[in-house]
Amino acid sequence: MQRRSFLKGIMMTGAAAAVVSPSLAFSAEAPKGPNAMDLDTAIKAITGGKSVSASDKVQLKAPEIAENGAVVPVSVTVDSPMSAEDHVKAIHIFATKNSNVRCADVMLTPANGTASFSTRVKLGSSQDVMALVVTSKGEFLSAAQNVKVTIGGCG
Amino acid sequence: MDVSRRDFLHLAAALGLVSVSNGFATTISSKNPADITLKDLYDFKATGNVTLLHICDMHAHIKPMYWREPSTLISAPELNGTPGFLCGEAFAKYYGLEPSSLDAYFDTHMDFEALAHKFGKMGGVAHMKTLVDQIKKSRGAEKVLFLDSGDTWQGTGVALKTRGEAIVKAQNYLGIDVMVGHWEFTYGKERVKELIGMLEGKFISQNVVGDDPFAEEYEELIFEPYTIEERGGAKIGIIGQSFPFTSTANPKEFTQGWSFGLRTDTLQAYVDELRSEHKVDCVVVLSHDGFSVDQEVAKKVNGIDFILSGHTHDPSPKPIVINGCAIMIAGSHGKYVGRLDIDARGGKVHGYEYKLIPVASNIIPADPAGVKLVNELYAPFDKEMNEVLGKTKGLLYKRDTFFSTFDQLINDAVMDEMKCDISFTPGYRWGTTVLPGDDILMDNVYEMCGVTYPNVYTFELKGDHIAKLLEDIADNVFNDNPLYQQGGDMSRLGGVSYDISVSNAPGKRISKLMVGGKLLDPKKTYVVSSWGGNLQSAGANLQEKKIRPVYDVVRDYIKRKKVVEVSNESNVHILDYDCGCPSVGAKSCKA
Repeated sequence: MQRRSFLKGIMMTGAAAAVVSPSLAFSAEAPKGPNAMDLDTAIKAITGGKSVSASDKVQLKAPEIAENGAVVPVSVTVDSPMSAEDHVKAIHIFATKNSNVRCADVMLTPANGTASFSTRVKLGSSQDVMALVVTSKGEFLSAAQNVKVTIGGCG
Repeated sequence: MDVSRRDFLHLAAALGLVSVSNGFATTISSKNPADITLKDLYDFKATGNVTLLHICDMHAHIKPMYWREPSTLISAPELNGTPGFLCGEAFAKYYGLEPSSLDAYFDTHMDFEALAHKFGKMGGVAHMKTLVDQIKKSRGAEKVLFLDSGDTWQGTGVALKTRGEAIVKAQNYLGIDVMVGHWEFTYGKERVKELIGMLEGKFISQNVVGDDPFAEEYEELIFEPYTIEERGGAKIGIIGQSFPFTSTANPKEFTQGWSFGLRTDTLQAYVDELRSEHKVDCVVVLSHDGFSVDQEVAKKVNGIDFILSGHTHDPSPKPIVINGCAIMIAGSHGKYVGRLDIDARGGKVHGYEYKLIPVASNIIPADPAGVKLVNELYAPFDKEMNEVLGKTKGLLYKRDTFFSTFDQLINDAVMDEMKCDISFTPGYRWGTTVLPGDDILMDNVYEMCGVTYPNVYTFELKGDHIAKLLEDIADNVFNDNPLYQQGGDMSRLGGVSYDISVSNAPGKRISKLMVGGKLLDPKKTYVVSSWGGNLQSAGANLQEKKIRPVYDVVRDYIKRKKVVEVSNESNVHILDYDCGCPSVGAKSCKA
């Protein structure tokens, strides 16, 4: 079906772009190991302290209520022409309340064609999942969604 | 095209062309109860070229029964008193019901016992069929489509014993054309597929997708997402929406490898596909999202004409219109049939008329073929189901946000047998009502706890963990965003009392949590019994020898007691509301 070919498309872009390299991205002058950073520090390490603006161009998809907190599907699609002058350089995904807030750092080039990435993240509790997008113009765009992790209890 | 349709509906509503405001059962309310006749129930201003008949949440009640609506229905402050969170006096005021009318009997808890004696039992497929046949006859069967929002296969002993088959036979007899599901899935994936094979209608869902990477159906739809049915010369596109939180509300093992969720993005895509590619005249979402969640869906997804909702068991005599989409929900337990007449032509809905028709079994005669079918389906189990276990002094009912008497009886039974400190009974919204002085049959016990995972587990939990779990459950019920609710009520607790401020922040609602009359000690280990949920997975030292199905535990307890007397005094004290059925914006029911 249409939906399936669309999803396959996402997976392929995801696979092509999945340069998940925390050690590279955070090697410079990190005061602590990257996996021990709190959310603000981790964001600052990317933005260098520049401001981040919530943007409709960043579409973050995650379930409202996680079916299983250990594997929560999250996908991020950014509305971008992906041209040499104007493209998405990186997509970062955060679990804002996990002890390790950083889930994925995905580096992109115009050759990726589209800026989208999907993965699964582990959430220790109900919290916001956040995407931080870095563009070639030096903008920092974000989107967030609350995901509830619950033991359930009603029918 | 989409915009013009919505504009038209707005305009039509303003001019009074679309009879939303009067499209409900005023004819019944305005009459003296004693004078209500079959004609009043059948009375309908036939409109347009298509009729949709709608049922939801029958919970396998193929026989007529009593079902008392809630006397407490509390949620987040901004939701209370709005459709989906209306009960009792607030409900009667909102919909303009006459006291002691047939509608008041069906729709509210008020004066229930007296009205039950006056009006008799509700629902039953034999009575429902007479109503459906009358509509098909007067309207022309080729114009009628019968839709079922699910929670149909589970909820009675005969359903459990036949693993849903008896109910599918009843659906085939009724002539169900299309359905979606929730509790259906608790028979397990394979059985669901078998039962769909027996169903003469279609089972559709756009929001159930394979998520096992090693399975053939990975990332594939498990069911057809929609169906297009032609009636009265119109093409009706119906998109299915099964319960989005099936895998968290019910044991995961039944649906391992299937992922649910609200999936509004694909829902929007299917709405667009039906309109642009298939040129349908009307888009209907047949849903088990719940009444409040569907109000959010209507805000997020454009181009839906009607959502026929289910799950939250609300009887809604009037549709509510959001973003050009009219949302209806038809109660529960087979008490009602919703009739929606639509004028759908040229890719547009030009008007509609709606009535929620109570299936009053003393007024609508039974179809003899239905009586015969029900008797046949029950025959193999009659001996067990008809066993008189005891009598009840007071009204035994299920529902309400925190407490109901039949749940208390179950907790009493569990605590008596399991010798636990605390007993958890789930806050499902299905069950039964037994009138004061009546016999309690084994059938009634199955009506309260006939699930495919009936075991009572007894295990240990630390005090602080119990407090956290309760807050977690409370947030599923009282979250101010309906999308984060799951449409049930609070778990019912035996051995425990507490105060609650429902409008407090998540995690800070519950106070004065007492176990056995003493404040809960966060460091103490308590013995907890629980059924119908997932709590045992959080506990330690499971007492395997004590595991037994809840319906057996309850049966034995009632037999021992012979006469049960359950107080209707709640163990939960609501701090921020002084009554169970506040009107919108009110914290009190005092005028």
